[in-house]
Amino acid sequence: MDLLSSVISLGFVAQVLRLMTPFYLGASAANFSERGGVINISVEGFMNLSAFSFAVISILTGNVFTGFILAVLVNLIFSIMFGYFTVSLKINQIVTGVGFNLFIAGLTKFLLVYIFSSSSNTPRFEGLPELSLFKNVPFFGLFLTDYITIFCFLLIFISVYILFKTKFGLRLRSAGENPAAGESLGIKIRHYRYYGIFICGFLSAVAGIWMASNQNSYSDGMIAGRGYIALAAMIIGKWKPVNIFFACLLFSAFEAFEISLQISGSDIPSQLIQMLPYFITILVLIGFIGKTKPPAADGVPY
Amino acid sequence: MISRKNLINLISVILSVLMTVLIVFFFLLILGKDPFEIFGTILSEVFADGYGIGQTLFKATPLIFISCGLAICFHASLFNIGAEGQLNAGSFVIALIALKLDFLPAYAVIIISLFCGFLVSGFFGLIPAYIKIKKDVSEVITTIMMNFVILALVNYFLLDFFAVQSTMRTEKINEDLMFLKISDLVPFFQGSTLNSSFILAVLAAVITYVFIYKTGFGYKLRSVGFNELASKYLGVRTNGVILISFFIGAGITAFAGMNYIFGYKGFYEFGFSNNIGFTAIAVTLLAKNNPIGIIFSSLLFAILDYGGLSVNQLIPKELMLVVQGIIILSLLAVDKLVSNYFSGKFI
Repeated sequence: MDLLSSVISLGFVAQVLRLMTPFYLGASAANFSERGGVINISVEGFMNLSAFSFAVISILTGNVFTGFILAVLVNLIFSIMFGYFTVSLKINQIVTGVGFNLFIAGLTKFLLVYIFSSSSNTPRFEGLPELSLFKNVPFFGLFLTDYITIFCFLLIFISVYILFKTKFGLRLRSAGENPAAGESLGIKIRHYRYYGIFICGFLSAVAGIWMASNQNSYSDGMIAGRGYIALAAMIIGKWKPVNIFFACLLFSAFEAFEISLQISGSDIPSQLIQMLPYFITILVLIGFIGKTKPPAADGVPY
Repeated sequence: MISRKNLINLISVILSVLMTVLIVFFFLLILGKDPFEIFGTILSEVFADGYGIGQTLFKATPLIFISCGLAICFHASLFNIGAEGQLNAGSFVIALIALKLDFLPAYAVIIISLFCGFLVSGFFGLIPAYIKIKKDVSEVITTIMMNFVILALVNYFLLDFFAVQSTMRTEKINEDLMFLKISDLVPFFQGSTLNSSFILAVLAAVITYVFIYKTGFGYKLRSVGFNELASKYLGVRTNGVILISFFIGAGITAFAGMNYIFGYKGFYEFGFSNNIGFTAIAVTLLAKNNPIGIIFSSLLFAILDYGGLSVNQLIPKELMLVVQGIIILSLLAVDKLVSNYFSGKFI
């Protein structure tokens, strides 16, 4: 009964909307890259990297804004590398993505031990400042508590606008749908593919920063597959910003449900609760969606 | 004789290993460490005596098995990154069956349990293959999700039903099931844990080589990997090939547990694999998916692994994870540059 009442409360809905932040940021990140024709499996790694660099730089400099800016910068540098591999060298994008994920996972594990002599987590630090603007507004005050979450909601409209209403979006999509046709119209396809990867690097940086800031520390493996779930949300959302939003809501609802289950102390074994989001992702992939249609030149080097 | 393609492959593998050494060298310099001291310690620890060599071969054993499985998938252009989960499911089942069937003769127990482990790991490989065929969803995402699901399931069944009180492991299997320690035969290895699994692993690599390059199914497998659509037009049942190669490829990963259970500890322990399923991806890529090459690249990674322990005083052993990542990335880049060079497109 406790569980049921906690799930149908407003607080639960607010929790779902708040937990959606990293999923939606990650899924949009991947979407911008794939709309430009580059499959970016390493959203997971990029989120991990930015969460780590944000935490480390914030702790070492004592200033979260420096941490924010430098973490984004680190991700952009890695995005250049990723672009060099996938766009300039035309290496298989999925293999490159997996390579980056393994490299970043190793690098963060190593530096964590090297800097903090701990194989599990950094010391705690004060995360990004909270936003008090909506504090007294009923319901909205429960989840619009930080700038990144608000940005995440705005991003739905921003992505629709950029992708479908601007010249930039049209050109980016041409890089993902039919690069040869775009090229014949004078569009520098490779540049646009790089832009897509940069946006991806930036958005996944923000997602990772939100995670670390919210937990007030970085711990090894804290992204825990959220980058991959974001990719799944992008697929289920059929590469459309609004649909992706609903897919992300689905996954964050399961995460919130998982948290409620743990708090309510039900006798369902904790391992089974923890695997819920991944299990659901697979079920959704098997059952809910028909064949999905990615951008036509997605994953094809040009 | 060695073909032109193999020669180019060999050149790019050697160059990328050299490149990795160079990058790691500067990385260590930046961190203010002495690269010569660290590289030297690794090599001297590994090659100092028979024990070091034996331990290195021991660590290479599971890598060879898993990488052979991955090579089958990779040849069919199926990027299976779920080996970590698949191998744990299979290994867990191997240990359970070996425990429950202790009334049978030893050889029967070993064969049955290995076979069941193969089936279970293979079954978990079928799920992403099925989703790929039916829904056209990349196996990369589903295999990653399966990793989380399988590890949670194994953890649940282990802790709630089979584990020895307050540990993360099963009970020990009968002593007479344990594989022969090679150091008992060859005193050179001085009591290292190297066991007959290593010989089986090399055998598995040879069989996988024959399977991929010398059989009809292997030919179909490679043709699907090379051009799925064209293979379909030529009458290859591509969906069947995808399912079977994922089943066999995932199934073989179960044998990683053989080395640990029959050859070393005598029980399944949660976390024994220690992300070896991901290391195997690097091993397989470095070997250019060639099972014979896998034996050598497994040895290289085993040297890193065992050597990493020996330099832990100087630098955290997690350095070897960074090295793995650098190997993959430099291999990808060098490979492309080398093949561009040989096809006259060098930028």
